[in-house]
Amino acid sequence: MTASPPRPGERLLAGYVGLVLLFLALPVLIVIPLAFSTDASLIFPPRGFSLKWFANILERPEFASAFRVSATVAVVATSISLVVGTLAALAFVRYRFPGRDTLLLVFMTPLIFPAIVLAAALALVLSPLGLLRSIAGLVCAHVVLTLPYMLRTAIATLSEIDRSLEEAAQTLGANRWRTFRHVTLPLLRPGLLAGITFSLIISFDEFTVSMFLVGPGLMTLPLEMYNYSEFTLDPTLAAISTILLGLTTIAIVVIEKLVGLGRQFS
Amino acid sequence: MSTAVSGSTDAVPMASQRRVRDVSRLMPLALLAPGIVVIGLGLVWPIAAMLAVSLQDKFPDATRVTLEHYGTVLSDPYFLRIIGRTFALATVVTVIAALVGYPVAWYLARSNSRWKHLVFLGVIAPLMVSIIVRMIGWTIILGNEGLINAVLRALGAIDEPLRLMQGFWSVVLGLVHILLPFMILSIAAVLGKIDRSYAEAANILGANPVRTFLSVTLPLSVQGIASGSVIVFCISVGVFVTPIMLGRGQVAVLAITIQEQMVVLVDWPTGAAAAMVLTAGTLVVLGLYGMFIRRHARR
Repeated sequence: MTASPPRPGERLLAGYVGLVLLFLALPVLIVIPLAFSTDASLIFPPRGFSLKWFANILERPEFASAFRVSATVAVVATSISLVVGTLAALAFVRYRFPGRDTLLLVFMTPLIFPAIVLAAALALVLSPLGLLRSIAGLVCAHVVLTLPYMLRTAIATLSEIDRSLEEAAQTLGANRWRTFRHVTLPLLRPGLLAGITFSLIISFDEFTVSMFLVGPGLMTLPLEMYNYSEFTLDPTLAAISTILLGLTTIAIVVIEKLVGLGRQFS
Repeated sequence: MSTAVSGSTDAVPMASQRRVRDVSRLMPLALLAPGIVVIGLGLVWPIAAMLAVSLQDKFPDATRVTLEHYGTVLSDPYFLRIIGRTFALATVVTVIAALVGYPVAWYLARSNSRWKHLVFLGVIAPLMVSIIVRMIGWTIILGNEGLINAVLRALGAIDEPLRLMQGFWSVVLGLVHILLPFMILSIAAVLGKIDRSYAEAANILGANPVRTFLSVTLPLSVQGIASGSVIVFCISVGVFVTPIMLGRGQVAVLAITIQEQMVVLVDWPTGAAAAMVLTAGTLVVLGLYGMFIRRHARR
């Protein structure tokens, strides 16, 4: 069955798959040549070669400060999600309790809940608390948004851990905490690292919810890029995109090496 | 009777056993507590607050409870057109994603090719690329001086650039690009679990490949199409960036209107009512999906 030469149908399918992959990759990769263009607008094909758009990023302090805000929010929100998500995953995988399935569904809701509604609703409750236009407010929102990703990875990883290893540790006299610390946690580490990478990306790229929570003086990078695009569509944005693509590629390689990207979605 | 029996067995455990059981009963609650706080304060409470605002006559400083904002949203031709366009957009995107994605899912689930892993990476990687980056990419492709117009001009097919950037279909294109991976992965997950001997049996019984596909494999994979469709549809109805960046202000959808009502017009109750209508639409789709899954499981 495996050794048979490809039939015409299979070749046709492979060709079609190639076209779809091109459709998926083209809008992403096309920003790279434009980042080095000498033209002041996004003209294809790009003419000449210059690094002036990268220099332009450095000349505009708002991009650097937006990058700092996005990175800070991503790291803090991911750290909180990591702890909260891992604890919840332990409950979902190791225990059967009434309302378990419903609760899991509720925890996963932010994945498909209309982002615009959640955005406005969070702004509504964060505003009287004085958390609008604050890092803390953004962190609150991003914990809700990244928790499902962290939870899903942690559940997938935990379900695959051989429980007899933990039982062995307990038989040998380790208490619950020592068992968790020295047996469960090391086994969980690759899965959790993948979840962390994923959560960092989700938070860093988040747009709609942040839109309601930022303001003058506090911008995330995607919103700063959007604001810039409202007035100028020059290759500066392509240059920033190229840098972000570099960072994303590193993240993809990290996840792929740790657990395999496919596991994140099955 | 049976409850009495199980009740009596529950009542007799020794003291130490009961202690262990009480601890293990509290343990999941303790583990879940932080998550319940996050979801309660970050999802349930805000949505409840929004529901409350949608029922107020004014915000802030409400004087009475009213349904008038729902009346406005559900009867004003302006809102009705936008609601119609939003759900039409989501439906079109879902159907196209399913049609385009199915063969790729099939390839991922069935192919023995050594390229399969690379195809997998190619499907997943775009999910991790910033949405703004992808919108800029589409602008470069569809713009008046973009890739498509450059190619067509080089081929001599056009003299004036085509205006590809403003309208319903450029938004559809952008959304399909963003959401196609979710559809492919959902269908592939189900296709991968189907026992291939069913299709082989149909073949042996004389069905041609098309017939086998239509009457055996497709019905068995409907669940994957359904779960993929729910994800794509629910994300599509709430999306903001794509219509605003690829529609160039020509494609007003609910997300844009809600933002305008709240931020520009500062009319929170009407915006909140529109948001609740959007949420209700999403919940109806989720409910239908739940019913479908239950009926499917019973078969």
